[in-house]
Amino acid sequence: MNKEVVLQVKNLKTHFTTSKGTAKAVDGVDFTLHKGETLGIVGESGCGKSITSLSLLRLIPTPPGKIVEGEILLNNKDIVKMKEEELRKVRGNQISMIFQEPMTSLNPIIPVGEQIAETIRLHQRLPRKPAWQKAVDLLEMVGLPSPEKRAKQEPFQLSGGMRQRVMIAMALACTPEVLIADEPTTALDVTIQAQILELMKDLQKQIGMSIIFITHDLGVVSEVCDQVAVMYAGQIVEHRNAKDLFKTPLHPYTQGLLSSLPNIHENQQELQTIEGSVPSPYDYPVGCRFADRCPHAREICRAEAPDLLETNNAETKVRCFMHTEKWEVIEEKEELVCP
Amino acid sequence: MSITTKSPILEVNHLKQYFSLKKESLFSPKQTVKAVDDISFKLYPGETLSIVGESGCGKSTTGRSILRLDEPTEGEVLFNGTSMTSLSKKELRNVRGDIQVIFQDPYASLNPRQTIRKMLQEAMSIQKVMPKEQMEARLLELMSLVGLRPEYLERYPHEFSGGQRQRIGIARALCVNPKVIICDEAVSALDVSIQAQIINLLKSMQRDLDLTFLFISHDLSVVRHISDRVIVMYLGTIVEIADKDSLFDSPSHPYTKALLSAIPSIDEQHKKDRIILKGDVPSPIDPPTGCRFHTRCPFATDYCKKEVPALRSLSETHQVACHYAESLLKEEIV
Repeated sequence: MNKEVVLQVKNLKTHFTTSKGTAKAVDGVDFTLHKGETLGIVGESGCGKSITSLSLLRLIPTPPGKIVEGEILLNNKDIVKMKEEELRKVRGNQISMIFQEPMTSLNPIIPVGEQIAETIRLHQRLPRKPAWQKAVDLLEMVGLPSPEKRAKQEPFQLSGGMRQRVMIAMALACTPEVLIADEPTTALDVTIQAQILELMKDLQKQIGMSIIFITHDLGVVSEVCDQVAVMYAGQIVEHRNAKDLFKTPLHPYTQGLLSSLPNIHENQQELQTIEGSVPSPYDYPVGCRFADRCPHAREICRAEAPDLLETNNAETKVRCFMHTEKWEVIEEKEELVCP
Repeated sequence: MSITTKSPILEVNHLKQYFSLKKESLFSPKQTVKAVDDISFKLYPGETLSIVGESGCGKSTTGRSILRLDEPTEGEVLFNGTSMTSLSKKELRNVRGDIQVIFQDPYASLNPRQTIRKMLQEAMSIQKVMPKEQMEARLLELMSLVGLRPEYLERYPHEFSGGQRQRIGIARALCVNPKVIICDEAVSALDVSIQAQIINLLKSMQRDLDLTFLFISHDLSVVRHISDRVIVMYLGTIVEIADKDSLFDSPSHPYTKALLSAIPSIDEQHKKDRIILKGDVPSPIDPPTGCRFHTRCPFATDYCKKEVPALRSLSETHQVACHYAESLLKEEIV
């Protein structure tokens, strides 16, 4: 594919040093984001998806956290190496972020319109009046009813869904190339969530930005994402086109994750579960990090760590020996040993 | 299941739960939040009845009012035919052994300074479940029942993961041999793979111990999986009660339809017909007149604004509170 690359992450490692040792929260993440594309990063709590997104804007509190390795190339400029001043120009202008709980990201005692206008004034050097007018226009764009009135209200006067709309308006104020949305609809009710997802899709079409959508909700991912990266224990284990991923998951973890979802469209007797629990980020096993919970695990899985490799299809990447040539060879050998 | 022939284990009649707000000034009118406004339903032994709805619809308040954790403003709750609402504190304590509750966040509901052993023992001795000598055996049995290792009895709540804590919450509910368990968002805070483990555990326990569940949740996929019957609430009232299959296959209230269609699905087939509701849930302080859903309902008429729709039966197992339920079903306007 010849789509324009906007953001490229290479071997990103973000580690946290604590009294218990080094927690490898993000441990070798690679992905590429194309223009106009929505990439979903999914995984369960503690898999490193939020730390990945925070690392992209260098928002990791240091210490204890630190990006110890890797590159984050935004239009071929490495964010990891940027000075604070340069970074400030990237944040908000080129990459924006929205978070799960808008109430904690908005200033509780300043009218929401003023907060958006301030962003515009700082980033675009507009005078007060035009900035305010632009804020009101943005609020209208995100579908807030009676925007002039709402712009003068403080966050507590708005509902959860409205606050998230305000956050989106603020994130879009400088028409960023990349929008990172970290669980933007998790705190919302489903009917409101449906509104916000629809809004994000519409705005993406209008503005043509790329979105990184971080969530634990696989349903949401399949609604909005083109590409999906599944994370487990600090690494991406599968990265593919969303449709294919949900149809034929390749990695055993993705398979387990999908089959443990209760299906709303039919009755099931028992839910599939993934046995065991996630390994500690302080002490990952030598081999595949999923091996202890994997129903297919063999000797090699515990001895060697698999890489995130392309399969026959160049756009499908999976971190599992099952999908390499090695597996066939081993299979024959092992069957001889243990029938 | 012929549940209708049995007598209900728990009956809720015209339950109302109002909370009065602090006056803003001396002369401002008194405001009340009508969290639950006149709901009635029956829970039959051995079944799982779910209450679903969005935040603020009154589903958790209903659970709390049944247990009298909040004193109901009006209405009656009958447990095995006796009225819970008129019991004294002491009598209530006996009944509470029969009705247990599991909360969403087990960490907030477990005493951080008590070992698991102490916590379970305390609950059992308050409810006088069994003599002290037999307790030890029962403790071990409980731990294996919920899938925890016996040595965990000596640990404190902070030493466990979320899934394990929820198992402890379940063990604590079970230790007094309850008949009914109210699960208030019991699996909502868990990751999907852990959630699946806990749901399976709840289901197997229901089979083995003959428990009745009142399952309060906002997650409709989980509800479909675990329930026999489902109640849908909106803004303090019940809009639809039906057995699981007819609710999910032919939802009759426009709100239920919208709610079901709003759920993000990983299934390609079910993505087309989405109904996106306009606006937010109105405030329960001053709910809309007539049908409470009329402000967001795509089919609302002037009649809906004036007349409160009664909960009426469409079939033996399906009740709905909408003036136009039949015509909506027939014409398939959606």
